[in-house]
Amino acid sequence: MNVERIKNAEIMLDNVGMTYDATDGKKVQALTSVTMDIQKGEFISLLGPSGCGKTTLLRIIADLLQPTSGKVLIGGESPKEARLKRKYGMVFQSAVLYDWRTVIKNIELPLEIIHEGKAERRERAVKMLDLVGLSEFANHYPRQLSGGMQQRVGIARALALQPEILLMDEPFSALDEFTREKLHIDLLKIWRKTNKTIIFVTHNISESVFLSDRVCVLSPHPGRLSAVIDIDLPRPRTMEIRDTPEFTALVAKVRNSFEGV
Amino acid sequence: MAAKVNKKRRSAVQSVVCPLIFGITLIAAWQTGLLHIVLNTDEYVLPYPTRILTIMGENSDKIMMNVWASVQVAVLGLLFGSLLGYLIAIFAATFPKFGSGGLTIVSAFNAIPIVALAPVIINWTKDVSSEAEIRSTFAKIIVVTVVSMASMSVNAYRGLTELPVFSDDLMKTYAAGKLTEFTKLRLPNSVPYIFTALRVSVPGSVISALVSEYFAEYIIGVGRQIRENILIAQYSTAWAYIVTACIVGIVMYAILMVIEALVMKKRR
Repeated sequence: MNVERIKNAEIMLDNVGMTYDATDGKKVQALTSVTMDIQKGEFISLLGPSGCGKTTLLRIIADLLQPTSGKVLIGGESPKEARLKRKYGMVFQSAVLYDWRTVIKNIELPLEIIHEGKAERRERAVKMLDLVGLSEFANHYPRQLSGGMQQRVGIARALALQPEILLMDEPFSALDEFTREKLHIDLLKIWRKTNKTIIFVTHNISESVFLSDRVCVLSPHPGRLSAVIDIDLPRPRTMEIRDTPEFTALVAKVRNSFEGV
Repeated sequence: MAAKVNKKRRSAVQSVVCPLIFGITLIAAWQTGLLHIVLNTDEYVLPYPTRILTIMGENSDKIMMNVWASVQVAVLGLLFGSLLGYLIAIFAATFPKFGSGGLTIVSAFNAIPIVALAPVIINWTKDVSSEAEIRSTFAKIIVVTVVSMASMSVNAYRGLTELPVFSDDLMKTYAAGKLTEFTKLRLPNSVPYIFTALRVSVPGSVISALVSEYFAEYIIGVGRQIRENILIAQYSTAWAYIVTACIVGIVMYAILMVIEALVMKKRR
């Protein structure tokens, strides 16, 4: 493996593949030889239809799945080492808030796990809640919040440990269009303030174009990386950018890069 | 919002007012002798409610002594059984290989009728103490323990293992250990399931305490008094104890409901 690559890339995927044993004894190729580098502070989307292996790839990076072939390095370390050093914050398809904890207590959860002191815990959680604009809901219970608000709490919780990498698995797919567009703006603001590396899994083309520096297009059967498209739209991006011909052209370019869909 | 309040009010009507009307009607039919005609019985076998209340008043000291004996057995058995059941659930959740098999055996225990279980256990415990009262109490508590254990272990196991989607992944991303995952996720997740178990085992503990008294060596308890008084054809006194047994069951269930409402208030 190239030493130069290891030094420069925050996340390095080298020929990563994943084969499942299906119930009928056959092997299912969920992912074949994905090779790519992700730089520190980049916003990357993994885009594709269901069955393309995008979530599988994210879970491999997060050390929630072990690849059957290839290698993953996170800042020169294995995903497991990175996970144990708590370099990841993860946001899931649903907010996964613990319903017996208040909003603020949910954000404090990871800080409790690392045995952070009570005062520091509260201070950090308050800061995170402020970052996602939900300060006044600190003592609410999750069920009292809308889906969009719950997902923002999920983001605040993922950021509480100040991880270097934020992994987001279709975080906004269950939300309505209006809420989603608002959260896009919010997420980009948070990204700019915190300077994280973000890997964002989605099946929504315009979402991936709007948010990302680069869109990684994954095609199914077998899951593979079929294109990486640079999104050179200026930042900070606003709602209006969606109406520009440049945006439309990029969406079309991304759409045309799918194979076998 | 209005619809929600309306719905709440309707459910209150359904759960309080309807049973109340039914109960009052039944008691009225009973007191007026209508019930006796319907059931083709007489007021000697089925005494009037006022007669039962009079006997309860006259024998209140003796009844309270028997209530105390039965409640002691029910509550201690419930406590031990639930604790044991929860420990079994933890074991099963920690070692899934033995877990499901172990739980099946525990559930099988639950299928054994108390009337079959009680004499066996009373036979086992005959050497526990030289005093009949102590060894009888001991045996009865074991019967209730066995009965309460089953529902707790099965329900708590579900609470410890059926986690919200991704909640265990979340713990992994925090590099949380097994113990942390248990205290921060599995344990709190199992709380509603504990109440599901208790909703079954609280009435169950009262019933099994009363039935186990039938077979005990030492004659005490509400259940035993029902039997003894029926044997000597003292139906009014027997009925006084039957009503007492109902009250004990209802009060214990009501206490559970209050505790559940307090604990679960913030989660619903």
